[in-house]
Amino acid sequence: MAATALPRSEAGPADRQRALARFLAEASGAGAVEIARIALLPGGAIQENWAIDGEFDGGRLAGAQRLVLRTDAATGVPSSLGRVEEFAVLQAAFAAGLTVPEPLFACADPAVLGKPFFVMRRVSGSALGRPITLDPGLEAARPAIAERLGRELARLQTIRPPRDDLAFLPSYDGPVGQITGFRAYLDRHPNPRPVLEWALRWAETNLPDKLPPVLCHRDFRTGNYLLEGTQLTAILDWEFAGWGDPDEDIGWLCCKGWRFGRLDREAGGIAERAPFYRGYESESGRRLDPERVKFWEIFANIRWAVIALQQSDRYLIGGARSLSTAITGRRATECELELLMLLDPDGARKRIATGA
Amino acid sequence: MRDLPKSRDLLGLARELLLGELLPLLPPERARDAHLIATTMAIAAREAAGGEGWQAEIGGLLGELYDEGSSLRRLAADLRNGAFETSPSHAAAARAILWLLTIEKLREGNPHFLAANGFIRAGLKGE
Repeated sequence: MAATALPRSEAGPADRQRALARFLAEASGAGAVEIARIALLPGGAIQENWAIDGEFDGGRLAGAQRLVLRTDAATGVPSSLGRVEEFAVLQAAFAAGLTVPEPLFACADPAVLGKPFFVMRRVSGSALGRPITLDPGLEAARPAIAERLGRELARLQTIRPPRDDLAFLPSYDGPVGQITGFRAYLDRHPNPRPVLEWALRWAETNLPDKLPPVLCHRDFRTGNYLLEGTQLTAILDWEFAGWGDPDEDIGWLCCKGWRFGRLDREAGGIAERAPFYRGYESESGRRLDPERVKFWEIFANIRWAVIALQQSDRYLIGGARSLSTAITGRRATECELELLMLLDPDGARKRIATGA
Repeated sequence: MRDLPKSRDLLGLARELLLGELLPLLPPERARDAHLIATTMAIAAREAAGGEGWQAEIGGLLGELYDEGSSLRRLAADLRNGAFETSPSHAAAARAILWLLTIEKLREGNPHFLAANGFIRAGLKGE
């Protein structure tokens, strides 16, 4: 919580705070807005989230408000939406009845803070992965949380193209385009990644049957939802959302990379798959096909490996002096081990039995 | 030729100092950074101790797979193109390289992940 000055721009912190107060007043119809506190929230490797406490004098938010301002961090990764587009996705999710922070205002004008941002209500809770997966106090509640996540995901998938409000999202025609993109990235990467190449070849030759596209969160996992006690209070971080396959988010949540110390709990480190699948199937009316989910779990490991490598690129290419960012690329090898275990189970058994 | 103590031993002592004495003095929100530094030091120590042996082993396996011009980049390109899919023996040889490469990188980078996945001896050898 060390930082208390809003994102950089040519104006100073006090000017930016005044500009933000004016923006909030105008957007909400308030006579004035007094900002009492601004603090950078922890996390957010790609985006910055700022807690804003403000007093609104009239307008639709009259009174004291606890808000979050979300804007770009200094360096991002490819394929993340802009903040104004992310705001539109959040609006669609909110309107569809998902448990998300209420989106309030978006600002594309760089004259206000130096870069686009949006504002949403601040929701209580913690998203930290390990406390969620390891806290003994949550033990009894975890299956219900997993089931609730399944229901939320099914509700998200009621959002389907075409949508005028989401017309900026690229159309979707199966994972081949993503596979091509991953290969193009690997072609530019200084180190060969033969495991990823092998897995991409498997994906290319084992494509699942097409289903009508739905809105995918594309980072739907432990660490990206808030729990207040045992209650789900918000699904966060919609920057990677796009049209995609209905099983893509299922495979992502079940991917081993998001189990936070509980590798045995295959649904996001919090539960077996059964309650998560049950929540999804009962809300969506669609029965999950384990082979399709397996494809998307393998795909998730490939994608997470590429994202991890791209995070290191922010140091290697972008010059970001962040140890946390630079070291993330090492996690790609964890994904590669999981890919080998999924694609060559006999080889895994042999090596485990012999101590490799 | 180098002076003693070895850099690996110094890194070990530095890590103990960081986690044992400095970490308790840090505000809680910086604890993760301290662990990240400790992890980085541990990786550096393991890589320094590990030498180039496994890389030579992979070079040998690549040499058996290819008559000439062997490299990981060529292996990656061939796997992309499905070059071994009509030859079970070549496919098995390629997979053996992938396993060795991945396990050895994790042995240095994250042995606990190897252990958590059941590769216990592979993960903790040299720990």
